[in-house]
Amino acid sequence: MKITSGRTKAYRILSVVVLIVLAILFLFPLYWIITGAFKPAVDIYATEPVWFPSEWTKANFDKLFGMRSAPLWELAVPFSRAITGETVYFSVGPTVPGAIRWLVNTVFMSVMAMILTCLTAAMAGYALAKKRFVGRTLLFSLIVCAMALPKQVILIPLIREMSALHLVNTLWAVIFPTVGWPFGVFLMKQFAEGIPGEILEAARVDGAGEIRTFTTIVLPMVKPGVGALAIFTFINSWNDYFMQLVMLSSNANYTISLGIATMQAETSVDMGLLMAGAALAAAPIIIVFLIFQKYFTQGITMGAVKG
Amino acid sequence: MAKQPRSTMSRALVRRETISGYMFLLPSLIFFLGFVIIPMFICIYTSLTSANMNDPGSFVGFQNFMDLFHDKTFMMSLKNTFLIVIVSVPTVCAFSLWVSSAIYKMKGPALSAFRCIFYLPVVTGSVAVTVVWKWMFDNYTGLFNAVLKGSGVIKDNINFLGTPGIAIWCIILILFTTSVGQPIVLYVSALGNVDQSLVEAAEVDGATNMQVFWKIKWPQIMPTTLYILVITTINSFQCFALIQLLTQGGSDTNTVMYYIYYTAFKLTEQAGHFGYANAMGVILAIFIGLLSALQFRLAKEK
Amino acid sequence: MKKFLALVLSLAMVLSLAACGGNKAPAEDTKPAETDEPAPAEATQSIDLWVYPVGGWGQEDNVKALTDAFTAETGIEVKVEYLAYADGDDKVNTAITGKNQPDLIMEGPERLVANWGAKGYMVDLSDMLDDTDKSELIAAALTPCINAEGKMYEYPMCMTAHCMAVNLDAFKAAGADQYLDLENRTWSTENFKKAVAALYDHFGGTVAAVYCKGQGGDQGTRALINNMYGGAYTNADHTAYTWDDPKNVQAIEELLAMDGIAFDASLEGGDEIAKFYQGVLKMAFCWNSAQQINPNNANTGEGKTVTGEEIVYMNFPTPDGSPAELCGGIWGFGIFDKGDAARIDAAKQFIKFMCDSAHTKDAVSTSTFFPARTAAEGTDLSKVSDNVMLNEYAALMVPNMGDYYNVIKGWAAQRTEWWNMLQEIGNGADINETIAARMANANAAAQG
Repeated sequence: MKITSGRTKAYRILSVVVLIVLAILFLFPLYWIITGAFKPAVDIYATEPVWFPSEWTKANFDKLFGMRSAPLWELAVPFSRAITGETVYFSVGPTVPGAIRWLVNTVFMSVMAMILTCLTAAMAGYALAKKRFVGRTLLFSLIVCAMALPKQVILIPLIREMSALHLVNTLWAVIFPTVGWPFGVFLMKQFAEGIPGEILEAARVDGAGEIRTFTTIVLPMVKPGVGALAIFTFINSWNDYFMQLVMLSSNANYTISLGIATMQAETSVDMGLLMAGAALAAAPIIIVFLIFQKYFTQGITMGAVKG
Repeated sequence: MAKQPRSTMSRALVRRETISGYMFLLPSLIFFLGFVIIPMFICIYTSLTSANMNDPGSFVGFQNFMDLFHDKTFMMSLKNTFLIVIVSVPTVCAFSLWVSSAIYKMKGPALSAFRCIFYLPVVTGSVAVTVVWKWMFDNYTGLFNAVLKGSGVIKDNINFLGTPGIAIWCIILILFTTSVGQPIVLYVSALGNVDQSLVEAAEVDGATNMQVFWKIKWPQIMPTTLYILVITTINSFQCFALIQLLTQGGSDTNTVMYYIYYTAFKLTEQAGHFGYANAMGVILAIFIGLLSALQFRLAKEK
Repeated sequence: MKKFLALVLSLAMVLSLAACGGNKAPAEDTKPAETDEPAPAEATQSIDLWVYPVGGWGQEDNVKALTDAFTAETGIEVKVEYLAYADGDDKVNTAITGKNQPDLIMEGPERLVANWGAKGYMVDLSDMLDDTDKSELIAAALTPCINAEGKMYEYPMCMTAHCMAVNLDAFKAAGADQYLDLENRTWSTENFKKAVAALYDHFGGTVAAVYCKGQGGDQGTRALINNMYGGAYTNADHTAYTWDDPKNVQAIEELLAMDGIAFDASLEGGDEIAKFYQGVLKMAFCWNSAQQINPNNANTGEGKTVTGEEIVYMNFPTPDGSPAELCGGIWGFGIFDKGDAARIDAAKQFIKFMCDSAHTKDAVSTSTFFPARTAAEGTDLSKVSDNVMLNEYAALMVPNMGDYYNVIKGWAAQRTEWWNMLQEIGNGADINETIAARMANANAAAQG
């Protein structure tokens, strides 16, 4: 007994040491981004890595903000491009550095994708779990098979389709395929299956309509699932570089990821500039994550318990 | 007498259920069919033609598929794609399970600090992460070369991203760091929910830690493991940004996902390149479909 | 059986839905087209221009000054997007697929004439040329802009000869500066090899890189390999590639064997420039006047590395030390045919403004390259800049511009073959076999 506990203790200490080393390794890229963003050119271009900035400078950010410019927002008249061939804006914001606009775009895109996905998936998941309708099995199999499908597979048809819908080079062209991705429906179905059939039956007996049943009974019960899905979609959409790459062509419509990738193609080794961009891209979502950490972990966990 | 109305009622009920079911499905179906299924069918059709950027081409049957299996680059891409999945899925699962079992009993702040740190690469964003790793892997002034050289492990710089056989492992490593965050969070909570009374009973009976783990905890966290398998597989197919930004498919790191894009928009002078790219898409979709089906068969059995 | 039937039925259902989805879009398309006809005059008040980073034309402030002047004169607004060489072609091809291509694009004949022009996406600009233009435009710049059928898909604006560069301070430190003819900026292959050896002895590691990560800056590796023993890249009438010329093979073999030269698959042209600017590499094969005047676009001073070491531009080494045959860069504008006469007209006004007017001098000097014509509407263009280095470069390097073979068919396909070939050779594949296989692919594209 004693030997075992001694061994356990040694193992525990060892594992803590290993964990701390791993944690440092995992934190390091972030450290490198942040310090890199504030390093002066001498440090950036030094042939030996400089572990700590010799001087904190915001020159990289000045350069980042001076590179491109774009209006802070452009609100287009819906369908104006489809009708006149030219996008008509009813409101255009003041000119700001391109990187700021990219952030605005990214937030808009991620939030929009999140809202639409949660809404449609909650409804569809409920129907799949609780309604016995014709074609249900087939639809569910389709959803399962399509879940891991990378978007590269449908790349060319998707571009053609967006072009026909006059959506190329708009954020909607990135948002819609994200909403169409069936993972959300799958997740919500797993949640909705936990709703006891008797409650729904009781509601029907009481004369509640479909919509009322959904809003007053189903939604509150799947709320944790919606939270999980919201986080999942938001992060996925924020990181979905590929769709942004093929759908967005003008600087004013770039997302922050695409903006950094383009900068790296243009000025391949101005690492200071790239790190400033990377820091700008990472900062908002990391801050959100740190503030709402509890909800993040809860949300993510919820997804698995039911999934 | 009593039977008759009930059966008509249930038929009416089925119809009602079907209609209301589809009403609820409608918004989701518009997006799913419109932006996933329909493009998939167009993709299948195009894969049978010699379509180009500027013309729809003619019907060529399975010619594109035949050509693909003689295309060395494609076979390499296919191999790499599966290498990435086969390596990263089990390692991510095993690693995150180990980390979680080491941290889930820790006190609040320590636990959340570790959980947070391993989750950070996920929220940092794939492009930002890729850019910083590219710098660290640099052949001339990168951090890894400086450290390895400084500590005397290597004599000459290693061209991490420019050497076949090394580059793909660098990519798998980066993918790994961005994949373990979520599984760790999941396992921590799954392990925390394991029925403690069973564990204690087993310990009283003199079971070793290993026995407790495999006999009691492992079955209880099985659903979580399956869920993690699914999301990690999905994640492993999303490594386009890594390839595009780090190697552009060079140094034997091509994957089918990148090669599709490459064929579609870089090899524009190759006759029938759209048809060819779509044929790759179809093959990839078939493999992924099979893989998902397999995972779900597995999940159902458990 | 029942299951199978259900599957077929549901597939049919999905397909019919697909058909609906497919029909809807064109219906939306045709309707506006009818009502659209009378209105386009309004719409053309704005045109799109996509520029590759052609010298100073990659920087927003510079370009904005020029487009503002154009807008002030004509009332036509210009929306500019900036492409990168690393992924610009993909972007344009994606845009063409999505019918989202710009009105105007700025690049060279290998893209505008040999690629997009040959595929029928571009507008023939030959009606913009009158006899004065023909006499003013430099023949070497104009010829590649016109294809075999006499269609002109690029209106040239500026040009340069791509060269290489050396870090003179590093050369001096290694005692390798004795191998350079600094007056004529020339050297022989023998001396080049001696210099590499001296640099390697002094610094170790990699002193120069045959970069092959991608197509970016591939003119540098081409010119190096061709010039070392006087090999050719294509045959004289630009119908086939001649990479397996024994002179090219010898150059590749020797480069591969040289200590200090690495075939590096982690770099492309832009990365190489940065490593050279950083002082890591002592030579750059991807260089030109714009790089010399603003190394690495870093705004840290003409002809200096980041640490202030002196950069000297050079010819590529040749067997007898005579001036090399340099690859030319000829940049100008092309117009994508989007079927809208008014837009095409506005785009032509823009070309006229930049390439053949009193503003041409500004447009050219912004690029930090050299004019593609001797005079524009009465303005003498023999000296667009007061910069000493640029004028020296014009005298020393630009006349060495060699055969512009980039207009050969299948140019874009060939580029991928070239860098893949270098990668494979660098990884130890058999040289002759690899060259033969990759050249065969490139030649297939040249025929097709």
